[in-house]
Amino acid sequence: MGYESVVAPRSRQSRKRPPALAQPHRPYPALARAGLVLAGAGLGAVTALAITAETGAELRAPGGAATFLGSLTGLTGMYLALLMVLLVSRIPAIERVLGQDGLLRWHRRLAPWPISLLIAHALFITVGYAQAARAGLGHQVAVLLTRYPDVLIATVGLGIMCVIGIVSLRAIRRRLRRETWWLVHLYMYLALALSFAHVLALGPSFVGHPLTQIVWSVAWAATAGLVLCYRFGLPVVRSLRHRLVVHEVRQEGPGVVSVICSGRHLDRLAIAGGQFFFWRFLTRSMWWQAHPYTLSALPQPPYVRLTVKAVGDHSAAVARLRPGTRVAVEGPYGAFTKYAQQRPQALLVAAGIGVTALRSLLEDMPRNAAPVVLLRGTSPEDLVLRKEVAELVRYRRGRVHELVGTREQVVLDERSLQRLVPDLHRRDIYVCGPEGFVTTIVDLAARLGIPAEAVHHEAYVL
Amino acid sequence: MKRAGWYLLAGAVAGFGGVLGFHGGGTAAPALLGQQKPGAIGGTPVPSASPSGPARSTGPAASQGGATGQARSATGAVVPYGYGELSVVVTVHGGQITAVSVPLLRTAEPYSQQLAQQVIPMLRSEVLAAHSAQIHGVSGATYTSQAYAQSIQSALDKLHVR
Repeated sequence: MGYESVVAPRSRQSRKRPPALAQPHRPYPALARAGLVLAGAGLGAVTALAITAETGAELRAPGGAATFLGSLTGLTGMYLALLMVLLVSRIPAIERVLGQDGLLRWHRRLAPWPISLLIAHALFITVGYAQAARAGLGHQVAVLLTRYPDVLIATVGLGIMCVIGIVSLRAIRRRLRRETWWLVHLYMYLALALSFAHVLALGPSFVGHPLTQIVWSVAWAATAGLVLCYRFGLPVVRSLRHRLVVHEVRQEGPGVVSVICSGRHLDRLAIAGGQFFFWRFLTRSMWWQAHPYTLSALPQPPYVRLTVKAVGDHSAAVARLRPGTRVAVEGPYGAFTKYAQQRPQALLVAAGIGVTALRSLLEDMPRNAAPVVLLRGTSPEDLVLRKEVAELVRYRRGRVHELVGTREQVVLDERSLQRLVPDLHRRDIYVCGPEGFVTTIVDLAARLGIPAEAVHHEAYVL
Repeated sequence: MKRAGWYLLAGAVAGFGGVLGFHGGGTAAPALLGQQKPGAIGGTPVPSASPSGPARSTGPAASQGGATGQARSATGAVVPYGYGELSVVVTVHGGQITAVSVPLLRTAEPYSQQLAQQVIPMLRSEVLAAHSAQIHGVSGATYTSQAYAQSIQSALDKLHVR
């Protein structure tokens, strides 16, 4: 079978029967719920630890209250930082339920807390110790930094965290290149490592309590292990196993290219339609950054295909890739799959390059699925892969609406959506496209009374 | 995810209760909030009074003790604590604590030594004011305070004071 068939919808090869692909792993929401309960339990436990380490007399003593608040904020802050690291370790069982963007949303929602709590911790401890020693604040800062073990490096760690926190403020982050921000952001691991020692050396819940010391250390070691395993080990193993190489780069439309990669054992790659990989093209200028691109078709061993629109430096460079370039991948990620579907049928909405996720998702749908597909673009050339989508939809007895024109020409509101899709109440909505478009559709669905569990989205954020 | 907050909350309550329960089940951890104070380490009930309270009440005891005559002193037990170990020497005169010194202070690192030397004079003045091991302790130096009080109490026990 030639790579031509990668481009061809699966329906056309029904006579030839392609090799069976490995079944994708099914998501189990109960596991994510168990994870939530566990995360909550940890938070309750560290709060209780901080409280039990304190005595009534200490609280009433000079500086007691501040010192207590200091250890409470320090413990909970470090614990929430641990949760944030766990969220980006992308434990597969949890990732399959929440999706990579779900994990990142939680990560982002949580982000302000550890930083503020740890800043509060530093302030409270300094004030508390100064009151206890009846010393001035400036003097106490000097004493803490120079005489207490590991406090100096922990302060350096906190400084790094503050810098990252400032850089992550939306107003500043928007002005930075994605890669720059990401690299700066990696220093958080260093900051956390620097703060680790002083917790065990000085924390009232840890000094003289081997049990809490062991539990705390094991929790952090396990978290570091998970990050190393799932963000580093597994991608390396997968990349070595499948040995992907760029086979051909093909123009699909204005600024849109498909990259066809060949590799080994691709039938063993368990992937669901709609999922994506982080792609790392091993050229001299691109090897250090990995970008998320959706597979625009299920693998057809020995080929896989991704389709990319040139919107940033990286995606523009993808168009200039040479055949033979080696490729490393991390993934597959994403909960934007057939498993998310709650209701009998589906409405798939894509804007621009968002069509790639729908294209592979369609392949996963059964013959009688009768999907309705809305393809949105400003000009007809924006509707890349439209022929493939049309054929896949026809094979599944569905229909495609192409909505071409400016925002003024094509109005997507409650009325027009209901006219296009009269049986909306029995369909899940899958929407994929630029962030603004996705938000519009999600809001629209909410106004139409479609429950949030039945609306699935994957936004392209640069 | 639906009801995520409730799952988190349920977990938090369980975790909180679990640690409190485990703690109440008798570990070596410091006492629960408000249950026990550092000064209570001798097992004696603690009056929550200010240091001046017991000092005043020992007034008559001092005149009684006058019969016994001279000052006596005893070395308290060597008490290990989180950052090191210490022992005190207590001198009493007629039921009143007249002097406290720390002949033994060993710590793991210089910072704790420094910290202990910083707080020991404060602890000493607390003991001299309270005339007992029932002191508040110094915040930020919980373990040093507890060890100090415990050693004082063992010395007082040797002297059969109270």
